[in-house]
Amino acid sequence: MLGWLDANTATLLNGLALASVLFVIAVGLSLVFGTMDVLNLAHGAVSLVGAYVGVGLLGVQGSIGLFVAAVLLAAAIGLVLGTVLAAMTTSVTGHLRQALLTLGVALIVAELVTEVFGNDVQRVRAPIGLDGSVSVLGNPYPVYRLVMVAVGIVVAVGLYVVLERTRLGATVRATVADRDMVEAVGIRTTFVLGGVFAGGAALAAVGGLLAAPVLGAQPGLEDTILLLALVVVVIGGLGSLRGALLGAVLVGQVQVLGVALLPEIASFLLFGAMGLVLLLRPAGLLPAVGAK
Amino acid sequence: MSVRHATVKQLGRRAGLVPVAAALALVLASCGGSSVSGGGGGGGEDGGGATEGGGDVGPVKIGLLVPLSGVYAPLGEDMEQGFELYLEQNEGALGGAEVDLVTVDEGEGPDTGVPAATRLVTQEQVSAVVGIVNSATALGAKDTFVESKVPLVVANAGANDVTADASPYIWRSSFTNGGVAAALGAHVAEQVGDGSVYLISADYAAGAESTAGFRETFEAAGGTVAGEAATPFGTTTDWQPFLNGIRESGASAVYTFYAGAEAVGFVTQYNQFGLAGEIPLYGAGFLTEGGVLEAQGEAALGVQTSLHYSDTIDSDRNREFVEAYQAAYDEVPTVYAVQAYDAAAALDAAIETAGATDSESIAQALSEVGEIDSPRGPFTFDENHDPEQPYYLREVQESEGGFSNAVLSELDQ
Repeated sequence: MLGWLDANTATLLNGLALASVLFVIAVGLSLVFGTMDVLNLAHGAVSLVGAYVGVGLLGVQGSIGLFVAAVLLAAAIGLVLGTVLAAMTTSVTGHLRQALLTLGVALIVAELVTEVFGNDVQRVRAPIGLDGSVSVLGNPYPVYRLVMVAVGIVVAVGLYVVLERTRLGATVRATVADRDMVEAVGIRTTFVLGGVFAGGAALAAVGGLLAAPVLGAQPGLEDTILLLALVVVVIGGLGSLRGALLGAVLVGQVQVLGVALLPEIASFLLFGAMGLVLLLRPAGLLPAVGAK
Repeated sequence: MSVRHATVKQLGRRAGLVPVAAALALVLASCGGSSVSGGGGGGGEDGGGATEGGGDVGPVKIGLLVPLSGVYAPLGEDMEQGFELYLEQNEGALGGAEVDLVTVDEGEGPDTGVPAATRLVTQEQVSAVVGIVNSATALGAKDTFVESKVPLVVANAGANDVTADASPYIWRSSFTNGGVAAALGAHVAEQVGDGSVYLISADYAAGAESTAGFRETFEAAGGTVAGEAATPFGTTTDWQPFLNGIRESGASAVYTFYAGAEAVGFVTQYNQFGLAGEIPLYGAGFLTEGGVLEAQGEAALGVQTSLHYSDTIDSDRNREFVEAYQAAYDEVPTVYAVQAYDAAAALDAAIETAGATDSESIAQALSEVGEIDSPRGPFTFDENHDPEQPYYLREVQESEGGFSNAVLSELDQ
């Protein structure tokens, strides 16, 4: 067992790094579906925009300060995009129509990004100071990926505190559980929903930027991200923070451990795992209590 | 939509499997379909503007079939520039016949590329076609050209099968996947001596052909293979588990085939996980060609590849070409530009030889063109109509304003 751990520590860490960005991206998708019952297929495109904020600002390697500025800018753009999307989708009912609308938005956004930045693969560099490697059990491991894990943990804890320990969070959770009752006590759920949408999109953009030094920035990235985020949401269960976290960790580990241990069937493992969850727990592993 | 057998510049995209995305998959599919007509209609450069040409032969209508949209668009742009540069240098004529050029979008895959090829042959009635990036498109469109007896000069797609049966109408000014890799085998075997080499490539036709080509000459030169991995094509973004495998195999060098986004990911992570300093990385030249190298930056330093071109080839012919290309487009030419440039040169010679512009005469004359004076070095077409050409050992080095593939030597074959 120790030998196995020794050989696979880097792989496990990598799974966590992937899980971190997936969590940051998918939690918005999950909460938006949970609160607004809106299937937002433009979520991946918002992450794509985040990644290209990195390209625009960090094409030449930047300092940590510049990277933080890029994160804030990505968050701001995400907020705006999320608000616009929320406004667009409030009057559209039915998942198919929402899917078509948001997919259309996604295609337009992706095309605009291509127009501005071109079709080439772009690389976003980890900031100076975080681009080196440290030795983890004798093997070099990129510092930036450890930072990704740390950011994922910080975001998870922060969201947990906000959602579970504050009045604002209680309102959001209540809106997930019973929208009419929240309206009845005098809270405009439209604002709650719009806020969640905007916040989720901001996180998606930040996630896209954080992932960019590893995943790169190129046309088509939005589909990869959306697909993985949807798998995370399906496995974890809709509308729940813990579900998104568990889903992200599972998807991250299945993705990397599968490749390391069972390379022949690695491509099927992810969707195999999702199929299994759908068979045994159709609502996902940790769905929000009372979610519709 | 999931697996495409393309040669270079591949980006993995969509595989709609999620239940909620079932509708999405349909929508995506139909969107992809609509771009067939949409993208394809864009072409038509200088449409009916051709006048009576100078010389004995009348104007000749040539089709340029290159990707103007999708992930291969940067390659298509290079090829268009290469072809047009040749025309400019020859007063818009090939073999004395004024050229009426029809440019059509190949798109990403055969779903767009094959109809575009058919359109060039049947509607536009061109005398010859140059282009095609994607191997699957080349394989799919091949029969159209053979049946309608219109010569096709493939200016990129490298699948061995495209020219395997040597049709008089199918020619190639680029390379075969196996050929590029085979050129490197003996050199690497000599470098590693008693050591062994790990083979890793994308799990699709081009990757398999490339590693097979390398393995053949490498083992013939006495090399041993430490291990082999084929990474899921288009979906691999994290190479760490594979890099672990390379480390554990104890290999003293690595041979790889990747292109496009995967080339950027692989080379960058090879560096990040500390293998770059320890285990030399060899590959087919697409690993570090064009825009890919810019994205890799210093992570690619020291990577050695084989290819039939580099803008740093030390010859008068190449310097003259690079200068003209830079003057026209303000960037250094890529191998893709050269392949299209040489396709134009081949047609130039063929029309000159034939003294006629009909497709049958051009196809026949292509077998008589002899040596083509290319920036890559002179080459001839072999019995399969593939170029018999020099291959260069290139190393990524720092140069003014960035990174380049410096030529170390010509590879013995």
